[in-house]
Amino acid sequence: MLKLFEHETLDVHNLGDEETAIGVKDLSLQFGQKPVLQNISLRIPKHRITALIGQSGCGKSTLISSFNRMNDLVPDCQYTGGIFINGRNINDKREDVSQLRTQVGIVFQRPNPFPMSIYDNVSYGLRLKGIKVRRYLDDAVEQALKEAALWDEVKDRLFDSARILSGGQQQRLVIARALALKPDILLLDEPTSALDPLTTLFIEELMAGLKKRCTIVIVTHNMQQAARVSDYTAFLHQGQLVEYADSDTLFTMPEFKQTEDYITGRYG
Amino acid sequence: MPRQLALNTHISGKFNIELENLRNSVLTMGGEVELQLVETLKAIRLNHAGLAEKVILNDLKVNAMEMQIDEECLRIIAKRHPTASDLRLVMTVSKAITDIERMGDEIERIARLVTKNKLPASEMIKSSMLQIGENVVEMMRGTFDALARQDEGAALEVYEQDNVIDADYKKLLTFTAQEMQKNTDDMQDWLEVLWALRSLERIGDRCKNICEYVVYLSRGKDIRHSPLENMQTKLDQLI
Amino acid sequence: MINIKFHRLLSPSQRQSFVMSITAFFSAILLLALGSMLSLICYRGLAYFWPSPIYTVSYYDAKLEQASVVYGQIFNEYEEHGEYIRWFLYSSVNHPTGNQMLLEQSNTLSVVESANSANITLKDGRTVMGVPAKLNNDGRLDYSPQRYLDMANRVAEIQTDIDNIQVQHLSQIHQQLAQLDTQDVADDAPARHKLNNGFSLWQQKIESLERQRNSYVLDVAMADGQTVAIPLADIESVFVPGQLNLLGRWQVFLRNIGQFLVQAPKQANTAGGVFPALFGTVLMVLVMTLIVAPFGVMAAVYLSEYAPDNFLTSAIRISVSNMASVPSIVYGVFGLGFFVYTLGGNIDSLLFSDTLPAPTMGTPGLFWAALTMAMLTLPVVIVATEEGLRRVPQGLRASSYALGATKAETVLRIVLPMASPGIMTGIILAIARAAGEVAPLMLVGAVKFAPNLPVDGDFPYFHLDRQFMHLGVLIYDGAFHSQTDAKGASMMFATCLLLLLVVVTLNILAVILRARLRNRYLVN
Repeated sequence: MLKLFEHETLDVHNLGDEETAIGVKDLSLQFGQKPVLQNISLRIPKHRITALIGQSGCGKSTLISSFNRMNDLVPDCQYTGGIFINGRNINDKREDVSQLRTQVGIVFQRPNPFPMSIYDNVSYGLRLKGIKVRRYLDDAVEQALKEAALWDEVKDRLFDSARILSGGQQQRLVIARALALKPDILLLDEPTSALDPLTTLFIEELMAGLKKRCTIVIVTHNMQQAARVSDYTAFLHQGQLVEYADSDTLFTMPEFKQTEDYITGRYG
Repeated sequence: MPRQLALNTHISGKFNIELENLRNSVLTMGGEVELQLVETLKAIRLNHAGLAEKVILNDLKVNAMEMQIDEECLRIIAKRHPTASDLRLVMTVSKAITDIERMGDEIERIARLVTKNKLPASEMIKSSMLQIGENVVEMMRGTFDALARQDEGAALEVYEQDNVIDADYKKLLTFTAQEMQKNTDDMQDWLEVLWALRSLERIGDRCKNICEYVVYLSRGKDIRHSPLENMQTKLDQLI
Repeated sequence: MINIKFHRLLSPSQRQSFVMSITAFFSAILLLALGSMLSLICYRGLAYFWPSPIYTVSYYDAKLEQASVVYGQIFNEYEEHGEYIRWFLYSSVNHPTGNQMLLEQSNTLSVVESANSANITLKDGRTVMGVPAKLNNDGRLDYSPQRYLDMANRVAEIQTDIDNIQVQHLSQIHQQLAQLDTQDVADDAPARHKLNNGFSLWQQKIESLERQRNSYVLDVAMADGQTVAIPLADIESVFVPGQLNLLGRWQVFLRNIGQFLVQAPKQANTAGGVFPALFGTVLMVLVMTLIVAPFGVMAAVYLSEYAPDNFLTSAIRISVSNMASVPSIVYGVFGLGFFVYTLGGNIDSLLFSDTLPAPTMGTPGLFWAALTMAMLTLPVVIVATEEGLRRVPQGLRASSYALGATKAETVLRIVLPMASPGIMTGIILAIARAAGEVAPLMLVGAVKFAPNLPVDGDFPYFHLDRQFMHLGVLIYDGAFHSQTDAKGASMMFATCLLLLLVVVTLNILAVILRARLRNRYLVN
């Protein structure tokens, strides 16, 4: 049969272990007495961009933060269930969280470069790991900046303060900072909500390029963005996973009314 | 001045590829239909039922293409939220494939003339029909070419070719009516011939529609349902 | 009712300007108070250094029942009960080095500025006012500034010789004698005899040099024509205010300021300079900073970064901020009772038991003062540092954690550098506060007069157990003199001005430093 367009899609509900980057199994999480996530189970495919969408407070940021245990920083945070990355349950108390966070990088909403030079920003994580060899750091910084599509803009002022960069450049710097550690997974928590539309498109294009290198999970308020960049989309509502499918399906014919209402902008 | 559409200049590389694929797929579909017509004319000329049968079967492929392209348009609208020229392109494609698919259906009807062995005995009618058919093929080629290049000038030229086809069609219709009065026994067969003739003429109209879409695509102005003279003055104003 | 009328009386815009006028009025009063304080201290403080004119004062001496004439300087004048009163500091034959006198207008015959009378400052800080007439050295020579300088140089040379002998020879013999004493050498041993002979030889040499030195004398004529002889060795400087032009006055003014800064106090803190007090103040503040900065910063880091957010932590936080309002004398008493007696006493009995009962650490001293001041300023540093730490955006911390940093690494590499403007603010505020605080210091180590600086050439060079002098204490002391001694009162103002300058300098330094750090670590 003639096929005009190639769109390969995986069945995210029956994903093999080999294709899974993050396996979430019965994850429930609460802050104090307030339940935030309830029985979430999903498998995030490797080398794809997966978007998490949903209203404010639906728990999508919390879910993404639990992929590298950033929720540990919140007092009174309790969770049950498992998150499997590379075959390890990272919710295990014996998990080396620092090590985990170098494998699973996260970028936040506001570009927040450290108040140091561009070079020091990018090499921060490597230095923390105890790497001091200058030549190695130089190479790693260059590579990370190139991957973040920032190298050409900053190569002549690597030792200037990172504050002089524009918002979009700062966000790419922050991405480069995470990439310098060569993470398997990159989590992006509303990475473009503080940026203008054009810069946003640049960051999105950057993501599309990065997916060869690592698995990307993005939380976004912007449904168009989710539609544009993601291969798979999960819709969360009040701490529960409502629908999880490939983005083509979810944005053209969602299965559930709740999803339809949300992505079409109706009262749910 | 009309802006030349630059499809591959989006920040998103994926979007570039998707739009390019979409445009190519329409041209592929158009090419397919054009080939169908050429084959049909060949079948008429040779009175080759097998060839005509193949054309009829091949129409399913055209239909499948329409469905796929339609789905892709939907997908692009849902996922990419195209705007301005991108949106016009998607809409143009979406509408053009409907017309192209209909052309396929018309061609199928003509081909059935051969398979049902109801070709008119009159060599005169047959050669006139082939003559019109060649003109229609010519027009189709021009249309798809204009679409491929998004060339509104070419589209307008093609648009006017339809007048020749219409005139030829009317002439042939008159002639056929005279023939029919001579052989009133095979009225049923004559009707089939008339339908086929009309189909041929309709393909020209469909091409005209697509030309209108091309103008719409490059200018963002709808020129449908207005006489050519008005259209020309409108265009001049725009230029 | 009044309120209603008021509202009806004034239109809204008028009401607004009314409020503005009232607030502006109070601000103006504040400015006035501040300005008058500053100008008083500046005026009185700087006047201390400006050469004041010497007058020839003729008056009726009620005690002697006769007219007298003296050279004197006015240091206060006012009207009381319709009588115009002047206070003079004057020199006479009976009181060549100055005396005070109250003179009513009715007893005053004439007050004329003297053109020739000199202001002769003695090395012990006192002043003689009179006309330098003759220079005496094997015959009387008329006074001239050049001749005076030659002679003064010669005197200085002789003095150097005397000092050299004392340092190089006499002290050596002293040491050797002491050695003999410890070795129990008999009194009539030849070695001892030899040393004693040498000693008396050098002694004679010194005596002859001293005679030679003392033969240089300046005869000073008082206003009534009688002369007073002053050994040149005692004189520090001579200048005639009546003959000084503006440039000369400025030279004297600047020289006075210089001497004020480098000399030790004389005449029970009523004359001379304040160097030991300035030095003591600065050293005490430095030592205090070295103590308070790490303590305060670490406490703040614990409170804001590590302490769990519970009742105890907030209780600690509240107590810390309340500590700032505890009266400073309470800290002084605590310092004396705990640091000096308890802590110092225990250190003495553990480490310096061989010198007991004479205390080594168990007595007020600079270290205890610094420690007490550190306690006093600790809340300032903690509060400012906590404020600085709070200002570090949570996102930056999260970013640091996200790159695999531990809490300690985040605090050290991100949070502390970013909080450094706040920390600097706290430390400088602490320094400014400590530099101005007097009351607790008087209990734990600051004294009116300390014979030695806390830092000198003797091992171990830093003597933090020593008592020290402090600008604030000097001012406090000067305030007592101000009622009796004219010069002392002015010196108090001068010291005040200096203290103010020290504090202002520290504050300006703080502002600049903070601005630079803030600029570097600005959060956008």
